[in-house]
Amino acid sequence: MVSTTAEKSSASAGPQQNKAIEEKIQQFRELFADAPEIGKKALENALHELRSQTSDLPPPVESAGRVGARLGKVSELTIIVPLAPGGAKRLRAFLRLLRGNLSQGADKVGTLHTMRFVFFDNDTRLLFATAYDGDWDTYIDDFIAKIPDYLDIIDSAWDGWPGIRSPGAKDYLVKHQITAEGWYVAYPDLTVAEIKRLQRIGKAVDEFLDKVG
Amino acid sequence: MATQSATASRPNLDAIKQKIQNLRQAYADAPEVGRIGLERMIAELEAAAGGGQQRAESAGRTGLRQGKVSELTSIVEFAPGGAKRLRALLTVLGGNFQGADKVGTLHDMRFVFIDNDTRLLFATTYDGDWDTYIDDFSTKIPDALDVLFSNMVGYPKKGMHDPAIKDWIANHQLTADAWYVASPNLTVPEARRLEKLGKAVDELLDKIE
Repeated sequence: MVSTTAEKSSASAGPQQNKAIEEKIQQFRELFADAPEIGKKALENALHELRSQTSDLPPPVESAGRVGARLGKVSELTIIVPLAPGGAKRLRAFLRLLRGNLSQGADKVGTLHTMRFVFFDNDTRLLFATAYDGDWDTYIDDFIAKIPDYLDIIDSAWDGWPGIRSPGAKDYLVKHQITAEGWYVAYPDLTVAEIKRLQRIGKAVDEFLDKVG
Repeated sequence: MATQSATASRPNLDAIKQKIQNLRQAYADAPEVGRIGLERMIAELEAAAGGGQQRAESAGRTGLRQGKVSELTSIVEFAPGGAKRLRALLTVLGGNFQGADKVGTLHDMRFVFIDNDTRLLFATTYDGDWDTYIDDFSTKIPDALDVLFSNMVGYPKKGMHDPAIKDWIANHQLTADAWYVASPNLTVPEARRLEKLGKAVDELLDKIE
């Protein structure tokens, strides 16, 4: 669904597209006919803005490859897995030991912006969500190549995990990944590597200005 | 859990050894692939547990923060018809939210329909403190948020302007047990500043050549 709407919104603006937007907004009003009052009211307030947004053609959300959404250069991965018996306890012990900070392993991946682990439904399920650069397959390969042992420690708490070196690992991940239907990134052109480069430039410029000043 | 990890002081060597031992015991009944992975990493884990790295702290009322960057993760039930409406809205927007630029402290945001469209996972990455962030949201894009979240069960009647809104959000939020940020000192305004600076430096270098 993300990719089809993305195709539409990436087309150049024309009368035909405006018509399509109007149709969508009409459809949308109908859908909100049975929404709570606060939703209907807010919709009318926001419609003007919605219309200008859709005609301004924001960069389209595209597919990150095999699964997941991508905006510009930054993609989302959202995985929800059932935990194996005892899995929550083990994984918690591991994360607690690291004091909730996984930077030692995660920095090595080099394409990872953010990563979170969230237990829910009384510790029977885990949400694993990341923001990363580029294509799904390349990213998973980076993980596998750079921090396989971290992954096996973490993922062995997941029910049915075959092991990162197993040929079934990627299929397991795909099966449990759910593509986001809305995905926003504040600076979609900045990869992790580019951010690090810009931070170095920023520092160098500051030093330069200090010398000149 | 979040408060525990936030208040834990830097552990001494014996304490680390004990923790590693506890971890081994916790992994005694893990699948083989997990036990092997753990043994391969013991040295690295000892170093990590010994400090040197920033620990994840609390983002305020709820959620975790790493450096200047925090996580908000919530799972909420859809009201009847809510999933259908929200999907229609996201379709109109092409899955994209330019309006969110106005918040100014939002790094990323995702909407994920889970459990056969009965629940929504809403997760964001943002700058700083929870209360300030929610205030930013409710002053800068209240209508957009009302359109989005009036599709959820129990959304307060006056929406983002309702006195109960913060409690409603906090009650549905799940604090992460681990939170990683590649650039923990990079706020959204700083990212935008550096982007501009990078362009200016490139232009300058072009002129010099």
